Amino acid sequence: MAEQEEAVIITRVFEAPLEKVWQAWTEPEQLKRWWGPKDFTAPTIKIDFREGGKYLYAMHGPAGTPFDKDMWSTGTYKEIVPMKKIVTTDNFADADGNVVPASYYGMPGDVPTEYQVTITFEEVDGKTKMTLKHVGMLEGADDMTNGWNQSFDKLAASL
Amino acid sequence: MVEYTLQLDSIFGSLADPTRRDILRRVSKRQLTVTEVAHPYEISLAAISKHLRVLENAKLINKRKQGKEHYVSLAPSALKDANDYLKYYQKFMEANLDSLEEYLKKGD
Repeated sequence: MAEQEEAVIITRVFEAPLEKVWQAWTEPEQLKRWWGPKDFTAPTIKIDFREGGKYLYAMHGPAGTPFDKDMWSTGTYKEIVPMKKIVTTDNFADADGNVVPASYYGMPGDVPTEYQVTITFEEVDGKTKMTLKHVGMLEGADDMTNGWNQSFDKLAASL
Repeated sequence: MVEYTLQLDSIFGSLADPTRRDILRRVSKRQLTVTEVAHPYEISLAAISKHLRVLENAKLINKRKQGKEHYVSLAPSALKDANDYLKYYQKFMEANLDSLEEYLKKGD
């Protein structure tokens, strides 16, 4: 499955009701309290939670590290199925929400690639199973065929 | 920023065309001569050259002359970035979800 190799898939089971995990992902006040790795803060979380709406997040790393600055990310909600599924695009951004390549923040990636993130939520015995799938696409246009995404995944994986 | 936007536009523009996507897919497997690139398509060599020029300008392919032949190959830098970034992203997201787990525990 070459097309899978380009995707990052992470599954977690949280000891919390599904509704709570859903809110943690979709309500700005909640995201502000957890978004970012340990010791990071999230100074700005803006969410227009509807299909076609955008988000703009800033996270800020600990003092004395290269991440001691506001690092912005943005995306557009492509699909929202309440309590079940969220599909968004995902990019690094500047403070105005303009897409920038990862290299803007000193990370690998000079080509401004657009990524798509799909998060699914499922209740399992009172716990919440969350699966996050992150797929890179070289193009960002909506009218691109899915077939091309798969082709691109294969292409990149074959390098 | 302007420079990034221009590059983004040229990459998106390059990939918007099915023939160019197909060319890119084929040269990713192995380098091809311009004649080989053109072979499967029912369009003129001039049209193929134009497609190649667009891909070259977007830095998606490299063109190299050896003897009489022009060889076309995929520009690895254009796509390698995506792989490196995904590795980074996985680490970031794992750390991020640790934070979420912590947050959900505290909320109880």
